[in-house]
Amino acid sequence: MTSDPQGDMTPDQATALAGRIEAQLNQVLIGQPAITRQVMIALITGGHVLIEGVPGLGKTLLARSLARVLELDFQRIQFTPDLMPSDVTGHVLFDSQTGDFRVRKGPAFTNLLLADEINRAPAKTQAALLEVMQERRITIEGETFSLEPPFVVLATQNPLDQEGTYPLPEAELDRFLFKILIDYPSQEDETRMVEMVLDGRLPDSLDAAQLTPEANAEAILALGRQADAVIIDRALVDYILRLVRATRDHPSLVQGGGPRASIALARTAKTQALLAGRDYVIPDDVKQVAAPVLRHRLRLGVDADIEGQTVETVLEQLLEQVEAPRQ
Amino acid sequence: MDLNKINARLAPRSSWQAVDVGTRLYRRWWRQASLVWLVFTALPFAALAGYAAATRSVWPLLVFWWLKPLWERPLLAFYGRALFGDYPSPLTLLRQFPRYGLNGLAAQLTWRRFSPSRGFLTGVWQLEGSRGERVSGRIGVLLRPPGQRAGTLTFTVLGLEHAMTVALVVLAMTLVPWQFNMEWSVWFQEQGHLQWGFVNLAWYLVLMVTEPLYVATSFALYLNQRTWLEGWDLQLGLTRIGKRRRRAGQGGAALLVLLALFGAAPHQVEAQAPAESRLKSLLQEHGRSDFSRDNDTTDHPTPKQQAIELLASDTFMPFEERQDRRLRESLRDDDDPDNWWEDLLRRLLDQEADADDRDPLAVPDALITGLGYLLLALLLLVIVLMVRRYLPGLGGRQPDGKPVMPVRVAGLDTRAESLPADLALALEQELDRGDVRAALALLLRDGLVTLFQYRPLPLTAGATEQDCLRAYRSELGDAPVIPWLTTLINAWTRTAWAHRPSDQHTVRELMAQWRALRPALAGGAS
Repeated sequence: MTSDPQGDMTPDQATALAGRIEAQLNQVLIGQPAITRQVMIALITGGHVLIEGVPGLGKTLLARSLARVLELDFQRIQFTPDLMPSDVTGHVLFDSQTGDFRVRKGPAFTNLLLADEINRAPAKTQAALLEVMQERRITIEGETFSLEPPFVVLATQNPLDQEGTYPLPEAELDRFLFKILIDYPSQEDETRMVEMVLDGRLPDSLDAAQLTPEANAEAILALGRQADAVIIDRALVDYILRLVRATRDHPSLVQGGGPRASIALARTAKTQALLAGRDYVIPDDVKQVAAPVLRHRLRLGVDADIEGQTVETVLEQLLEQVEAPRQ
Repeated sequence: MDLNKINARLAPRSSWQAVDVGTRLYRRWWRQASLVWLVFTALPFAALAGYAAATRSVWPLLVFWWLKPLWERPLLAFYGRALFGDYPSPLTLLRQFPRYGLNGLAAQLTWRRFSPSRGFLTGVWQLEGSRGERVSGRIGVLLRPPGQRAGTLTFTVLGLEHAMTVALVVLAMTLVPWQFNMEWSVWFQEQGHLQWGFVNLAWYLVLMVTEPLYVATSFALYLNQRTWLEGWDLQLGLTRIGKRRRRAGQGGAALLVLLALFGAAPHQVEAQAPAESRLKSLLQEHGRSDFSRDNDTTDHPTPKQQAIELLASDTFMPFEERQDRRLRESLRDDDDPDNWWEDLLRRLLDQEADADDRDPLAVPDALITGLGYLLLALLLLVIVLMVRRYLPGLGGRQPDGKPVMPVRVAGLDTRAESLPADLALALEQELDRGDVRAALALLLRDGLVTLFQYRPLPLTAGATEQDCLRAYRSELGDAPVIPWLTTLINAWTRTAWAHRPSDQHTVRELMAQWRALRPALAGGAS
């Protein structure tokens, strides 16, 4: 299964560019290389990301840094219980000077949108954003506006602070390409971070201003085209399907991955291969992206939950049990 | 022991009714019995549980559990005296312990510790004061039906004890506010000091209920058995009749005659004393229907003679042929082990038949006891296995944890028998056919199988080529085989997944390197 490259850069150039972007991001998000890699994959694949982690781990910094390095337009919405759909998409207002109605575009008209604490907004506002994420178009008072590519939403949610939240329905969670779990850095990395701040190599408040732009929106789209051109063998597609279908039959899960999960797994595996410097996918690429692609699409049964299992442990089991692809 | 002072109504009852009487005894004196339990056990338990929590060891609690017969002695002493209207204080029981608590204790703490009739038989030593050979005789007599329900009672209370402990722990945990984020499965696994202390405390609180209950019910069963065997109810009935007759002779004769004339006396007597009613019915069966009037006629024998005749009759001294089989005798008499099982089976069936005659709800007690023993044996087996698994220093050994090679790794057949006898020849044949992919697959399969035999690692069916490489790189470090394996897997990956076959020269070079590496690995399998 192959496709012809359509980008204006070679695979090696694409890999090198992605590597430089990752290196820039890792300068500010210390000790989280897996997170930056996953965000890069989602960005190049053109998918949205749901990031879960406690406050203070650099979620906003990551989004700002990404916008800075890629010279993308960046907007942030703090989701609150009184946020209205028009606060996200925009609205029409009457201009008294011209005596006419004009459209005031909301923060969703951007390349990189940080939806902070998305599960604090009511379902109606969440649905408005999720519609934008799916359609990549916004309709205001009957007029439809297409969003400029790339359009990526980085939504965050806090795992501990559950009071006053509106959990995202499974159908809406499925719209996210990845769900990334961000955790505290290791002691070694945290030590390094503190030392860098004390030495003056990093400012007290880490920000993205120190980063230098490496690419632009067009380069991101070109990386996406290169990722599309990565070769994926039919045996690997079969492996992906076996993996996803196994989630539907697993006794600990009451909901497995759907076809959208299979597609997401194949597409992100190709991007992962590109970032690893290959123009072909190997089984390890699939295994590497399986957890962020699948974890938010699976629902654990009550019995398994009581037994102390988690979606992560079930996924680990599946990756060990589902036979590696035969060639 | 003066039966006239007894606080309970003695009557021959079924075992379950006797157990019910025991629960009533407990409900009546639960405060005093719990206090006795606390006074005798609180300090030892605190010391042992504290040591167990500090060392996270189960042995101190096992010691407390093992000493249960010791803790039960004061409770039985209390019930035994309370039944006759004497309520000893815990301090009195503590002071008098050497008098009532030591006889037979050594036996109960050693070879009789696992006796399912423990609570039922304690009275033989403690209340009857039996010693030596007499103990076996008494036990043999007491364990005749219906006394054999004692085993069922013991296992029932044991089950109750465990269920209540778990229920109490779970109940307490459900009351913990959710903000503490307490995951109970994790909580039990952590085994911290708090967990140990809490579970032990819950167990002790449950014991404070179940132990006094167990002793009371066992004691009631014991009393019931003796009532059956020794006719305590009849003894009491006869005593009452004697007293009433004396009173009637002194001044109430006219009243008795009057009552007899109106035919009301028998009903009153029956209502007041069931034992007298039982006596009367027995007398009527033996042609003594004039029981109530015997005082008025001079032709009939005296009451004393009547009683002697009655006790000597078939009702009290029936000619009974009884055959008991015991395991020890059976083995001694017959060396054929098959007969042992046949005998046991016969005993079970006989008991079942007997039990059916007595009680429609009866289940053979020996069967329940046997099941209890089976469960106990399984529990011990689990403990032994756990000790061997986790404490190899205590004489156990580490289990053979050698991983098993999956049939297929990285999508390749890794059964040793699927490989050709002459690898080099097979590889050349594939190259001659121009199938580089098949040649590389052969080489990789042989490499993985040989490496696995050399150093078995826990590979799974889902392991990829890179997983295998990572695992062996981590295991073997800088071994010469690792660069070879890296080159081979890179070549294989490109061929298999990018459809870019390596050139034949590379494959032959890898084969040549493998020839040099393989003997060392194949010969040094660990």
